[in-house]
Formats: sequence, structure tokens, C-alpha cells
Amino acid sequence: MISNELKQAVLEALKLDDWEFADETTAAQVPGWDSLSHVNVILAVEKKFGVRFKNLEVLKLKNVGDLQRLLDSKLEHRS
Amino acid sequence: MALLFDSLPYMLLFPAVWLLYQFIPDNRRWLVLLLASVSFYAALKAPLLVVAWALVVVVSYYCGLAIARQGDEPRKRRILWGGIAANFGVLCSIKYLRVIVEMWTPAPVAEARWSDLFVTLGVSYYTLQAVSYLADIYLETLEPERHFGRFALYLGFFPKMLQGPIERGGDLLPQLKSPYRCNYDNVRSGMLLFAWGLFKKVAVANRLAIYVTAVYRDVHGYGGITLMLATYLYAIQILADFSGYTDMALGVARMFNIRLTQNFNAPYLATSIADFWRRWHISFSRWILDYIFKPLQMEWRNWKNVGVAGALLVTFLFSGLWHGVSWNFVVWGLLHGLFLSASVFWKPWQTRMWEKIGLHNHPLRRLVQVLVTFNLVSFAWIFFRAGSLNDGFYVATHLFSGVGSYLVAVASHLGHLTQLKYLWDPILMEKGLRSFVLLTVSVMIMVLGNVLKKRIRIDHQPAWIRWPLYCTFLVALCYLSIYDDVGFVYFQF
Repeated sequence: MISNELKQAVLEALKLDDWEFADETTAAQVPGWDSLSHVNVILAVEKKFGVRFKNLEVLKLKNVGDLQRLLDSKLEHRS
Repeated sequence: MALLFDSLPYMLLFPAVWLLYQFIPDNRRWLVLLLASVSFYAALKAPLLVVAWALVVVVSYYCGLAIARQGDEPRKRRILWGGIAANFGVLCSIKYLRVIVEMWTPAPVAEARWSDLFVTLGVSYYTLQAVSYLADIYLETLEPERHFGRFALYLGFFPKMLQGPIERGGDLLPQLKSPYRCNYDNVRSGMLLFAWGLFKKVAVANRLAIYVTAVYRDVHGYGGITLMLATYLYAIQILADFSGYTDMALGVARMFNIRLTQNFNAPYLATSIADFWRRWHISFSRWILDYIFKPLQMEWRNWKNVGVAGALLVTFLFSGLWHGVSWNFVVWGLLHGLFLSASVFWKPWQTRMWEKIGLHNHPLRRLVQVLVTFNLVSFAWIFFRAGSLNDGFYVATHLFSGVGSYLVAVASHLGHLTQLKYLWDPILMEKGLRSFVLLTVSVMIMVLGNVLKKRIRIDHQPAWIRWPLYCTFLVALCYLSIYDDVGFVYFQF
């Protein structure tokens, strides 16, 4: 399940009005989420939630569900 | 004679392998394909190539298993880097053997004595494939292949051995394990694809090569119109040549029910350089994107657009060097890197500009973008094709020399152009009108065929449409083909 905060961060980074995200949604399915804009999405999520992902963690992401789980684990470790 | 796709021995031996494949039980079919692959590779009569391939297979197989088994992250990373270093070590040793030998022995003597050792066919492709296999296991997106024979086949499957596509483990390995049932549709569409690729190679690319080679062999002997035309013709030649090979590879593989990665998707209809790289040599651009650009982009993400631009420059510098260690390829790679880096900064301005003039969603915008992209790509091809960096710069700086006066002459003689030989010479390049007409017809058939292929499935049409089309195509193939030992452009990489 993708949280509303994560969804907003991604939408803002991609300058999209709205998009339905599911766990299985991949970058290629979202308009404007290409290899060049991928870094903006990651930066926007890091900034919004005050976390820092390792490069390897980002490279292993396969879909938005993976991103949500990675974010949750970071937030859990922080609290 | 090398067993290349457009050679007679290949066309005779391939059916024999296919027939044998039909009568072998599923659990041994990999062996037929592996033996065929090794035989095809060995037929190049370059023993070092087979040794290099075997080395890459053994190293990658065991490194893959070790990475998956290892729980300790630093050790895992060391094995990955060890495997990558070994694969690139093999690649560099094979590719630069000539340079090393020629440091000690004069070039003609080295060529006469050891020419067999200087053949590099296929090495660049299967080593990149081996590196992607190891990286995918490390990134936990792929399970290692435990069957040594199937793994060797994954790296050496003969249709894609010499010029790709560079297949991902996740795409090809499962197909090599699937049970086989002869599929008539696959056999028919595979044969059609092979024939279509053959046409692109022997009727279009070989025909274009005659013009392009004549001009690029002596660039100082021609004016701007001819240099410009030869450059555009080369853009078409390299597409016909490389996509022709790919179609043949895909067609052969499909007859064994194996779907290889489509390497081309109308690249000259790209609306930007980034779009071009999503459509040109797709398996290679996916490779450099995933294994060079993305890690660098993430590493430098705090620098925002500057980091992205830097990652693009490094990625395309690698792309240039992969094609060959020469300044020509470095300049070609850097040009693409520069185009892409510039677009990172330019793109928001471009969008605003189109909105301001009210053409944001207008078809004219797409047309302009396609034309600009095609011209940028064609400009970069100059350095890819030129015999030396000096020749490349000469062509790049003389594209417009004499064009103005030529156009004025054409405009002032509009009524009787056919009688003025000096106006036709720069276009016909001393090859005669008949040859130019045949070239144009070949290119038109290729364009028309590509359009038709997108709209209709010929193999799904009724027989009264299919058979006249097949016959017309065969006549065109026989009449327009040129077999004069013009190698595939991408074999050199």
C-alpha cells in the first residue's frame, strides 16, 4: 500500500497532477518517470522524509512498493 | 569462409541444425544449440576467440554462484568486481592485442603472421552480457544459472553471438529451459524476419555502402553537397546494416521458439537524443543506462542537474570507447554525451518556448523535433564513419561548402535540369542514374516494409495476398542484392 505522502512526493517531483500508484507500479508505467527524472524522484522523497538512501538500495528498487518498503524501514530505524 | 548470416554455408548449415533440433528430447536440446554455437564460432578460424569465450563462461558461471551464495556484503562486492575485472580483462586483451603486438612488430608483418589472433568478433557483446549477469545477481534481480551447459549457451547462443542483442539473464535463461514444441507460426514469421533482415543488409546497406565508402575514402575530393548526402546515406546504411543483422538474428532464434530482445524501434523518428537512445541498439543502451549511468547518477545526486549531466558524459564516453579505442569514437560518444547533458538544462526552456508560441501540443512540434534529432544524430555519425579524426573534422566543417552556389545554379536552370550533368554529379557521385534509381527503390522498399510491418501482420493475411507478396519480395531481393563481401558494420566492435 502506497502512502499518500509518498505519492505526493513522487507526483510533485514529476510535476504530475494525479496518478494511481500500486505496489507493482514501475517507473516505466508513470508518465515522465524516466531514467533522467528518476534522480529527482529519489531526491524529493529523501528531502520530504528527511532520510538518505544508499546507492545500492536505490539500484535494487524494482517498483513503487519496494520504494515504500525501503522508506518505511528507514523511518522505523530513525524513530 | 566465415559463417556469417548472409553467407551460403550459414544458410545451408542452419536448416541442418534446426532439423536435428526437432528430433532431440527436451533435456538434450541445449546441447544441440551449444554445439552448433561453438561450431559457428569456431568456423571463424580464430582459435583465440573460442578460448576467450570459454574463459568468460567459466569465470562468470562460478562468480555468479559465489555471489549468490555469499552473505557477507563486502565479500560479495569483491567477487562481483573480480568477475567484472576478469571479463573486461578478456575483452581488453582480445581487442588491444593488435595494438600491443604492433608495438614490437611492424604492422604488415604482424598482420601477415598473426591475423587470426586479431579477430575480435563477438567478444564485446558476450562480455557485456556476462557483466550484466553478475550485476543482476548482485542486485538480487536474478538467480544464478546452475546448469553449466545452459549458462554457456546463454552467453554463446549463435544467432546473437557476433553482434548481439546483449541479452539479460532474466529474459533469455528461462527460454532456454522451456520445453520445445515446433510452432508453425514461429517458423514462418522467423523465416520472414530473416528474409527481411537479409534484404535490408544485401539490398539496402550493401548498396548504400558503395556510395558512402567512395566518398568517405577520399573526403577531400568532394564538395559540401556530396559530403552531406553521403552522411545522410550513411545514417540509413548503418540502420539497415545493424537492424538487418538484428532481424536475421531474431528470425533464426524465433524458429527455435526463442524471443530475443528487439534492438531497434524506428530510431530516426525519435523526438530527442534521449528518445533516440531508447530506440537505437536498445539492448546496449539499456546496459550502459543500468550499469554505468544509474550508479553514477545516484552517486552524484546531490549535484542535481550537474551530476546528471556529468553521469551522461561519462556514460557516453564509455559508449564511444566500447566501440573502439580511437579518437573518432571518443568524439562520437562525447557528442552524444554533450547533446544529452545540454538537454538536461535546455528541456524546461524548450517546453516553455513551445507553450509560449502556442505549439505545445501541435504536430509541427513533433516534426521539428524529429528533424533536429535526426540531423544531430547524422552529424555525430560523421565521426563514427570517418577514417580518421582529421577526415571527420574535414567533413564536419565542409558540409555546406559550395551548397549556396549549387542551389543558385539549380534554381536558375529549373527548366532543363536533366541536361546539366555538372548539377547531377554531386548527387550521383559518378555511379550513374540507374544505380541511383536502384538505390532509391531499395530504400523505399525498406521504408514501406517498415510501415507495413507496423500496420499489418503479413503472415496473418489470406494466401492470395501473402503469396504474390512473397514472390514480389523474392524477385526484389534477387534483383536488388549486392554480394561483394561487405561485412556488417557492427562486427568490428
